[in-house]
Amino acid sequence: MDNLARALPRIAGLALASVSFLAVTAAQAKEITIWCWDPNFNVAIMKEAGARYTKTHPDVTFNVVDFAKTDVEQKLQTGLASGTADALPDIVLIEDYGAQKYLQSFPGAFAPLSGTVDYSGFAPYKVQVMTVGDQVYGMPFDSGVTGLYYRKDYLEQAGFKPEDMQNLTWDRFIEIGQQVEEKTGKKMMGLDPNDAGLVRIIMQSAGQWYFDKDGKANVTGNPALKAALETVGKIMSANVYKPAAGWSDWVGTFTSGDVAAVVTGVWITGTVKAQPDQAGKWGVAPIPKLAIDGATHASNLGGSSWYVLESSAEKAEAIDFLNEIYGKDIDFYQTILQDRGAVGSLLAARGGAAYEAADPFFGGEKVWQSFSDWLAKVPSVNYGIFTNEADTAVTAQLPALTQGTPVDDVLKAIDAEVSAQIQ
Amino acid sequence: MVHARRGSIGRYYDVNGWLFVAPVLGLIGLFMIYPIFWSLWMSFQSGRGMMMKFVGFGNIVRLWNDPVFIKALTNTMTYFVVQVPIMILLALILASILNNPRLFGRGLFRTAIFLPCVTSLVAYSVLFKGMFATDGVVNSTLQAIGIVSSPIPWLTHPFWAKALVIIAITWRWTGYNMIFYLAALQNIDRSIYEVARIDGVPAWARFTHITIPLLKPVILFTTVISTIGTVQLFDEVYNLTEGRGGPSNATLTLSLYIYNLTFRFMPNFGYAATVSYVIVVLVALLAFFQFFAARERDK
Repeated sequence: MDNLARALPRIAGLALASVSFLAVTAAQAKEITIWCWDPNFNVAIMKEAGARYTKTHPDVTFNVVDFAKTDVEQKLQTGLASGTADALPDIVLIEDYGAQKYLQSFPGAFAPLSGTVDYSGFAPYKVQVMTVGDQVYGMPFDSGVTGLYYRKDYLEQAGFKPEDMQNLTWDRFIEIGQQVEEKTGKKMMGLDPNDAGLVRIIMQSAGQWYFDKDGKANVTGNPALKAALETVGKIMSANVYKPAAGWSDWVGTFTSGDVAAVVTGVWITGTVKAQPDQAGKWGVAPIPKLAIDGATHASNLGGSSWYVLESSAEKAEAIDFLNEIYGKDIDFYQTILQDRGAVGSLLAARGGAAYEAADPFFGGEKVWQSFSDWLAKVPSVNYGIFTNEADTAVTAQLPALTQGTPVDDVLKAIDAEVSAQIQ
Repeated sequence: MVHARRGSIGRYYDVNGWLFVAPVLGLIGLFMIYPIFWSLWMSFQSGRGMMMKFVGFGNIVRLWNDPVFIKALTNTMTYFVVQVPIMILLALILASILNNPRLFGRGLFRTAIFLPCVTSLVAYSVLFKGMFATDGVVNSTLQAIGIVSSPIPWLTHPFWAKALVIIAITWRWTGYNMIFYLAALQNIDRSIYEVARIDGVPAWARFTHITIPLLKPVILFTTVISTIGTVQLFDEVYNLTEGRGGPSNATLTLSLYIYNLTFRFMPNFGYAATVSYVIVVLVALLAFFQFFAARERDK
């Protein structure tokens, strides 16, 4: 007892000393914590960016945490709602569709970067999704510019050359699909009836979204959405698709060689190229076009950006890091393009050597140049703050569409559900 | 004098007693009572994320006009009405079969039927998802033995998706309820059955006229527990449908809707709290009706 009584102050002193020691080292070495998803894409790219910054700033280290996308969103939403900043990272990756939702429902949670970052150098549609009022938040990252990936070998068997795949309409695409199935027995594309991604791609290619410029629901009087639903309905009734249940199942439709084409965002390139036995068999073309006013061959699916938390202890370092690497480092963009297939939204990066390179996997096509050309043509739309809600309403009505319900009735049902959700 | 001393000891014990339970009461107050009242207060507010404002009964009005909520409520009630009776009956039948002392290997069967409820909710949901895929083992078996000619669209057709959820929760929870019945059956005097047998009462009548009436309190208990579990259903649907409650919201439950309102959609904590109070009211009403239906009429 006596010994303990004498020892206690010493133990306490020791503990205090070590705490202050820890505090001192923490003040010297800054660690930036980052949350993102996809180990082969965002996580790997962020590690590369961190390594580049640590070279010039040895006192800053990085802790890139890999979660599933839904987990990142859920943890962020919970952390912001609870108001405890300790649980949150310094930098977080947010998908463009959700950006406005977070910025508007948690004002003051994210650091504005307007004064630091030169936003004129980025693709305008990326900057628009992170603007609230006259402040711009976040560092624009990858683009989800879309393309039509197709199997040259299957299409050749069906009698189509790569030239035949350029500047298609959706009706022509379906016709080709029917002939491909006739000649090769393969379906034209994989389609997950619970994923409205294709509807979003087609709708944005004609410059429309679920919401108008003021964020009001834009469903019943939206010609692009109507045409998109009609197109998906035609694909389903022509039965030129292989049904998929969930994301990995959908990816499996083309990695297994079961389908002849994929219409999606450029970030899928890494997954396509992960099948070495399919090298040289793939080609890339612009996505098919709708037959309505304002329709283009360019669209966007997904894509995300980096945001700095206002409460972060390393806020200044985090902002400087993003600006140094993502805002200025052209060479960095060449590396992530070559290694990961990431098409950044920094326009100056498009002049780099990697964008000019021919890709042997795609039979020597200059695919990156094509994608960056299409990127400049992506129609700018207002994603609003309720894209998830609208998406759920659309997927809920897709089966009705295939059962022959008139498109106008389907639109009315979607409108009713969306209107009830957005308040 | 003696009185006074006893009083002070009494107070001494009282104070000490309260001191001992105070930490527990404090924690219960902080982590149970406070959140209950706070969520009740929240259910009168609405807004986006942190931008909440008082709306009175606005959220309740919104419930009536929300087709997704109506859908989730209908689905939840469908699960409850279809699944709970099937499971309770199945558990009762299994329990009385496995209570037969002459049954060979009944220990093994009891364990096997109870085992599902100790497996992880996520693990078994993922497993079911694989087994019931379009080209999964269930469809290929059904096709091989000639019951169906084309694969059943378990995960993509609204009706079959509901059926799959019901199959999954029945598989997991039947054994759990069966254990309660088995335990209760041990307490029924064997001589009652003996008398019945001597009197020539057939097996089915022994089951309906002896076993079920004597198990009534346990049946009531398991029904209430199963009702609460089914009305709160979340994990299975979340994992089988990748958190979407698809196809066409056909499997969406109230709990999954609360999750979506809080974490997937524009966060509206007030409206989500209102929906969670719907579950509270629903469970309370259903439990009340079940107690009412099972009351002792002849007393």
